[in-house]
Amino acid sequence: MNRDAPAAPPVAPPARDDPYRIRWLPVAAVGLVAASALLAGPPLIVFALTEVMIFALFATALNLLLSYSGMVSFGHAVYFGIAAYGVALSITRLGWPMWAGILAGPFVSAFFALVFGAFCVQLTAIYAAMLTLACSEVTFAVVFQWFELTRGESGISGHVPAMLGLAPGVYGLVVLAVTGASILALWRVVHSPLGLTIRAVGQNAARAAALGHSRRTVQLIAFVISGFFAGVAGTLFSVFHGNVFPDYLGTLITVNGLVMVLLGGLYNFSAGIYGAVLFKILDNLLAHYFQYWQLVIGLILMAVILVSPRGIGGAIQSLARRLPGGHR
Amino acid sequence: MRPAAGAPVLTVSALSKRFGSFLALERVDLSVRQGEVRAIIGPNGAGKSTLMNVLSGQLVPDSGSIVFAGQRLEGRPPYQLARRKVGRAFQISSTFRRMTIYENMLAAHNAAAGRWFSLHPGRLRNMRAAVMADLEEIGLAHLAEQVVEDVSHGDRKRLEFGMVLAGRPRLLLLDEPTAGMGLQERHALIDLVLRQVRERGVTLLFVEHDIDVVFRAADYITVMALGKVFAEGRPEQIAANVQVQEIYLGSR
Repeated sequence: MNRDAPAAPPVAPPARDDPYRIRWLPVAAVGLVAASALLAGPPLIVFALTEVMIFALFATALNLLLSYSGMVSFGHAVYFGIAAYGVALSITRLGWPMWAGILAGPFVSAFFALVFGAFCVQLTAIYAAMLTLACSEVTFAVVFQWFELTRGESGISGHVPAMLGLAPGVYGLVVLAVTGASILALWRVVHSPLGLTIRAVGQNAARAAALGHSRRTVQLIAFVISGFFAGVAGTLFSVFHGNVFPDYLGTLITVNGLVMVLLGGLYNFSAGIYGAVLFKILDNLLAHYFQYWQLVIGLILMAVILVSPRGIGGAIQSLARRLPGGHR
Repeated sequence: MRPAAGAPVLTVSALSKRFGSFLALERVDLSVRQGEVRAIIGPNGAGKSTLMNVLSGQLVPDSGSIVFAGQRLEGRPPYQLARRKVGRAFQISSTFRRMTIYENMLAAHNAAAGRWFSLHPGRLRNMRAAVMADLEEIGLAHLAEQVVEDVSHGDRKRLEFGMVLAGRPRLLLLDEPTAGMGLQERHALIDLVLRQVRERGVTLLFVEHDIDVVFRAADYITVMALGKVFAEGRPEQIAANVQVQEIYLGSR
């Protein structure tokens, strides 16, 4: 090579597909199908779909932690349920107008995520995960037992009309719009400079630190973002039913969220969506045929993890790659 | 002749680090000039890696000071040292293994650019040309779309070195940059390191077991033994030092 010649600009490999661009076509297709099902489908479908969308958002928010930030939350239902209490208490105790209470929900979650997260990021790996569990147990106990404030097991209802008094299909559209916008916002986070930073810290905290990133700060930011969107999901859920109970921040919701992400597949942005859909289908079908349907879900989860560790999402991706015209 | 080095830029004074009853570093003094290439050698357990880990903030020293370019560095966490332009590569190459080579370098540029908390994907898109140019420079442009898990050990070492360079360090700490590599790969990597370091006027401190590499690269050599500085000098002085031959070269 002639060293005196002006260096040719390095040729970038053809961008196989710009990973930072949202593929609007599938997004629009899914949105349209969901919208028409909500408007034209039977009530059973409308209710199921609304719930699926809410949990898809919850699981996607949780997945930001699991797949990207290198954290595990064993108590993420706290940020789901505390938003619902935020809505209820700001309306019933503080006398806020309904819309203000509803808007406050996710911010209450973000605040709790900031406080608890600040403790959790002091530790790493399993120790941090145990601390998320402890934070959630404490919160659950307080909500459950502080009867004067939360009315404990009886929960709070009547502060918002269920589904805002809208027709189920119309409330479904509201949920579609809010969860859709939220998931796109999370997509943007993951694919922004902040998202790259979160992924870097999640994959190798030592290397990220040697590049100048503080693990604690970056993980705390991810935790708060995840908590906020879990709170959006919790708010939608609580308005859907027009009530709130301690179970909204209980273990079952946390575990279901984790199962959804694992079913959908780690390291895949859409895991929460795939997982929530599949979980709901299994939930409905299995509960119909088997008394011990949760056992069956457990077995299916084991099978998925053993056969396709990257879950449904991973299977779909490798299938798409083999199809003619598939990228990669 | 090697280029003349400038004024002292790194001054380590009486640095000590103890693990339980084991004194890993005992009052280590070190003075390195601007633009110097300094090798640190010594038998296993001499404290070389501990010294590197203290210099890069992985470990907090029990006592002593580290002054680089007029700033006290001892006891600061690694991410703060990185922001003060201290770059570091690890003994076992440390990269983002589930990312592509391109994304790894992008992450390094993203970190170096400040504004890592930005939500604008466009910022990353705009880094493409610079990232590719850096990959070209370290000879990895053709592997840009490969996931790190799938490339060779040597390429990972190269990548890590390139990522550290992307932070425009003024002090570079390399812990066994050629460990585990074949002979040819090893010389190619050390030549790459030297070329980049000299071009950019970076001060380099490196730990190395391969004596050929050390004598080929270093302006100055520090020999450590039992947590102390045992001898210092130019390569020819170290080669002629009988005691060094006894404790280190002879015992190999």
